[in-house]
Amino acid sequence: MASDLVNITINGTPLQVPAGEMIIESARRIGVEIPHFCYHPRLSKEAGANCRMCLVEVASPRKNPDGSVTLAKMPKPQTSCSLPAGEGMVIETETPAIIEARRGILEFLLINHPLDCPICDRGGECPLQNNTLHYGPPTTRYVEEKRHLPKAFPLSEHVVLDRERCIHCARCTRFAEDIAGDAQLGFLKRGADMEVSVRTGEQFTSLFSGNTIELCPVGALLSRSYRFRGRPWDLMTQKSICTECSNGCNIKLDHRAGRFVRVNARLNEDVNEEWTCDRGKFGMDYLSGPDRLTTPLVRRGNRFEAVGWDEAIRRVAEELGQAGRKSAFLGGIRSSNEDLFVMQRLFREVLGSSDLDHRVGPSFDAEPVIGVGQGQVARAPMSLVELEGLSLFISFGCDMAWEQPMAYLRVRKGWRRGALTIASVARHGTAEDERPSSLAPISAVRVRHDEGGELQVALRLLGEVLRQGGDGTAVPAELAAKAESAVTEQGADAEAVRRLALTLFEAGKGASDGRSVAVWIGEAARTNRQLPDILQTLSAALSAAGVHGVVQVPAMEVNEQGARDLGIAPTWLPGYEQADPAGRNSAEILAAVAQGDIAALWISGLDLATRYSDPAAAVRALESCPFLVVTDLSLTKTAQMADVVLPVTSVAERNGTYTNVEGRVQRFWKAYDPPAGVRQEWRIAAQIAARLGTEIHYASSREVLADIAARVPLYAGCGPDALGDGGVRWASALAGEVGR
Amino acid sequence: MGELRVLFEHRDVPGIERMDVYESVGGYQGLARAVTMSRADVIGEVKTSGLRGRGGAGFPTWIKWSGIPADQPTERYVVCNADEGEPGTFKDRELMLRLPHMVVEGLAIAGYATNSSTGYIYIRGEFLESARAVRRAIDEAYARGYLGESVCGSGHRFDLHVHMGAGSYECGEETALMSSLMGERGQPRAKPPHAPLPVISGLWQRPTLINNVETYATVPHILARGGAWYASMGTERSKGTKLFSVSGHVAKPGNYEIELGTPLEELIALAGGVVGGDLKAVIPGGSSVPILTAEQCRGVKLDYESCMAAGTMLGSGGFMAFNDRTDIVKLMHVTARFYAHESCGKCTPCREGTRWMYRIFQRITAGQGRPEDVDLLLSICNNIDGRSYCPLGDAASWPIRASIQRFREEYDYWIEHGRSPVGDDSVPGIG
Repeated sequence: MASDLVNITINGTPLQVPAGEMIIESARRIGVEIPHFCYHPRLSKEAGANCRMCLVEVASPRKNPDGSVTLAKMPKPQTSCSLPAGEGMVIETETPAIIEARRGILEFLLINHPLDCPICDRGGECPLQNNTLHYGPPTTRYVEEKRHLPKAFPLSEHVVLDRERCIHCARCTRFAEDIAGDAQLGFLKRGADMEVSVRTGEQFTSLFSGNTIELCPVGALLSRSYRFRGRPWDLMTQKSICTECSNGCNIKLDHRAGRFVRVNARLNEDVNEEWTCDRGKFGMDYLSGPDRLTTPLVRRGNRFEAVGWDEAIRRVAEELGQAGRKSAFLGGIRSSNEDLFVMQRLFREVLGSSDLDHRVGPSFDAEPVIGVGQGQVARAPMSLVELEGLSLFISFGCDMAWEQPMAYLRVRKGWRRGALTIASVARHGTAEDERPSSLAPISAVRVRHDEGGELQVALRLLGEVLRQGGDGTAVPAELAAKAESAVTEQGADAEAVRRLALTLFEAGKGASDGRSVAVWIGEAARTNRQLPDILQTLSAALSAAGVHGVVQVPAMEVNEQGARDLGIAPTWLPGYEQADPAGRNSAEILAAVAQGDIAALWISGLDLATRYSDPAAAVRALESCPFLVVTDLSLTKTAQMADVVLPVTSVAERNGTYTNVEGRVQRFWKAYDPPAGVRQEWRIAAQIAARLGTEIHYASSREVLADIAARVPLYAGCGPDALGDGGVRWASALAGEVGR
Repeated sequence: MGELRVLFEHRDVPGIERMDVYESVGGYQGLARAVTMSRADVIGEVKTSGLRGRGGAGFPTWIKWSGIPADQPTERYVVCNADEGEPGTFKDRELMLRLPHMVVEGLAIAGYATNSSTGYIYIRGEFLESARAVRRAIDEAYARGYLGESVCGSGHRFDLHVHMGAGSYECGEETALMSSLMGERGQPRAKPPHAPLPVISGLWQRPTLINNVETYATVPHILARGGAWYASMGTERSKGTKLFSVSGHVAKPGNYEIELGTPLEELIALAGGVVGGDLKAVIPGGSSVPILTAEQCRGVKLDYESCMAAGTMLGSGGFMAFNDRTDIVKLMHVTARFYAHESCGKCTPCREGTRWMYRIFQRITAGQGRPEDVDLLLSICNNIDGRSYCPLGDAASWPIRASIQRFREEYDYWIEHGRSPVGDDSVPGIG
């Protein structure tokens, strides 16, 4: 370790830093801030060092012919963002020459910058503004006409470009190439005419375009939805969690006067680093959407009537009480852990029903994670950081960039480092193949099959693995026979599957103890009715190939993982304890509703009428449902069919926790008051329980979480005091790992 | 001292661009000798010769060659920088056009010496005829076994490819040239101390040797006749001969090969002397180097050290002589326009500074100069010099700063009177 450190001196302060660390980072260690624009620690250095703002003076030791060592000052100032620390380097950051150099660079940057700060969204949080104030010249000597270019050039649905403001730092182009991988942004022309652009006739369709807005050190790249909507100093910021998928990006939720304004990324090295995806960044307008419900609704004939909470609660309690065991619960994948825990207590403890399910497909009795080893940790979902270190990642019917954006970035990062091989299995004509943000172009193996052909591919893969010498001792004979017959069948994908099998063996060779192969099952394969068979076959293929791997059906909705963990399922209780007696799954519940075997159905935060894998069947069932209560933020198609609709708080209006795709329990904080007439879901459940004579009493969300941690061993390490800002993965807590 | 033809010895022989003629005057003897020697001995011969890079910087050639890790199990590349774009320089163009085999032979020797099996000649996009000549020469060399599977029967493989540039001065900068060759935007890449030298990590992160056309063309002569023979020419530290592209107000503009250390006046005399007036100024090494007044030219010798001492540089050998009809401000206007047009845009000082200076020149030569403009130009030069990403920024500032220091009165005249101090028929014209 010590040999990796070098001694350097910055502004007279001696310090030890890792050899090769960029000087701009070393300076931060002793509180010396070196101004910069183009430098960003996550973006490539090769293409950087162009803004020239971070110049420093450098002297390095030089050996003389007589063996003595003298300090030789480099004749030119050097960019500290790209200068690796070397033994004996002496750095000066505040000399008169450097102060003058910075002033010169800022003068250059400003000669063509329009200085329209008073009408610029970036004003107030602008690096160019800040650096000019600290380091710049007070006035300009430029009397020529400034550059004129079209303002607000629409790059995409979400992003506009103001070319006059651009300072050509190449952060956006490097992000597109290095991180997102879609490389849709580039420079056109040269010299002072150079401009950031997409190719002619193209749009900036990247699923990660919003990050460039935050990366831009000036107001050149702007959010179309936020443009002219506020000034930074008028906004309040709260720590929150993005609700648009299961990855659980940590976000800064900006709000003003009780209304949502915008989303920015919040740093969490273990989850989203400092990125967001466009689905999340531009998808949370619903929080202050015009269609938010603000009062309970009760059906009177063909229309809804707004009623008070007392009446609504009384009505729901009556119906549920009468239904008793014949009540059922569906959804909950957008509810908080606290909501879900209290809800399942209401159903199991108060109503005596085991008919709860969070899954919207017909055949999800499959285990969500099949891994090696025993116990809870082995069945824990893979962590996002772990993905980077895999040797093989197989995306199975999973449009990663869309469904699992942060996991996609991690996989891509691993691939960029060179140690991770990617294989992509999907049906023909998938959206993934039409879009630049995609694993497909960097996949070493691509298998494309017909609609519904997932099981066939899995069998073929198993067959190939067995044929190529895989260890079939653990494979059931019946499955092996099916696999063998699948291999012999003709098919366009035969060659690709053969290569996938070879790749599997290859990944198995270098595998150590850790899980080195991951198969992620995406939405397309999840809706296949043969999902359990697919999982079993894939897992058999992994073990036959001798790799340590995991086959995972990753959660997709914001708290789908929480719903799994906390027993919103017919066959297991919170913490995956076996449910006895077992209840019915979503398909069975809907069938029972249609048959009149269920008297009251509660659907939470889920538009079942459109999202169910067979929407027509869902609608038929709901139409015949004797009593339907829906908790949601707006009047969805499902809610419109309800007897009682109860409006609930959004993520911005309360405290709580979600569990993300890797099993990380993360807090979100209340940003502003909910609209009057809106309640937290767990409080509604508790009030109904109280009406029915059972006290489920909690004073706050925090207390609910404390109770979860006390009662559910899986979440023992995820109590309110343990979570901090970055959350805790239950698997890590169980394994005794600190931090992650 | 004076004219001394080594590279140009057979330039005027009819058909010298063809293989049989080139061979008949001793062509490919250097390569034939090289492949009988060890790699280290070939580099040793280059070291003995004292050859320095002819592209402008004058870096000792052998150091580059010996920096290539020839034993490592990796691909290595030899690149010839034939993107001759420096205003006033046209020697490489003629070398490739008339003596393409000399260039090919030099590259083949470099390939052998560095154990590289692939070479690229990156030719300026406008040099179509030169590129055709090189292409023909390569085809002939393959047919004779000087290139390909086994160079001169040595068992060493060397393939040579021609790559045409697309019209960018910046791509003559070696790291930008490599970016362009790899299909990227023609912008420079990091160099020491920020990144390894190209000899360690160049094209596709592989060791890459990159030299100028003239440098490679000199190597066959060094191998054929010995490094010591080459070192016997020139001065103590500037060995051998150098090609100068002489242009401007001289009677016989063209390429001249002289022994390094030859007096500047002698080169002008060789080119037929100054015409149309008396000598006013000289830019001895291409538009990037500081301009000399006629006074300063007196007694200056054309070698790396003497030029440096005189306050300019030998550069690429683009020698431009100007008579007293020349308006220095207009000359610098044209120069500033060139650099503003050629700046790649990557770094701030060059991208913004070159355009700003050009704008100021436009204003001054339109009669709209302000008294503070000259000091402003000097200040902009200082703000570019040493702070840009690659030397293009420096090269844009040096000539302008030198012209202000040495011809300040002409700027002041323009600003005070709004017209040329030389008169209405002054040159150059401003298009």
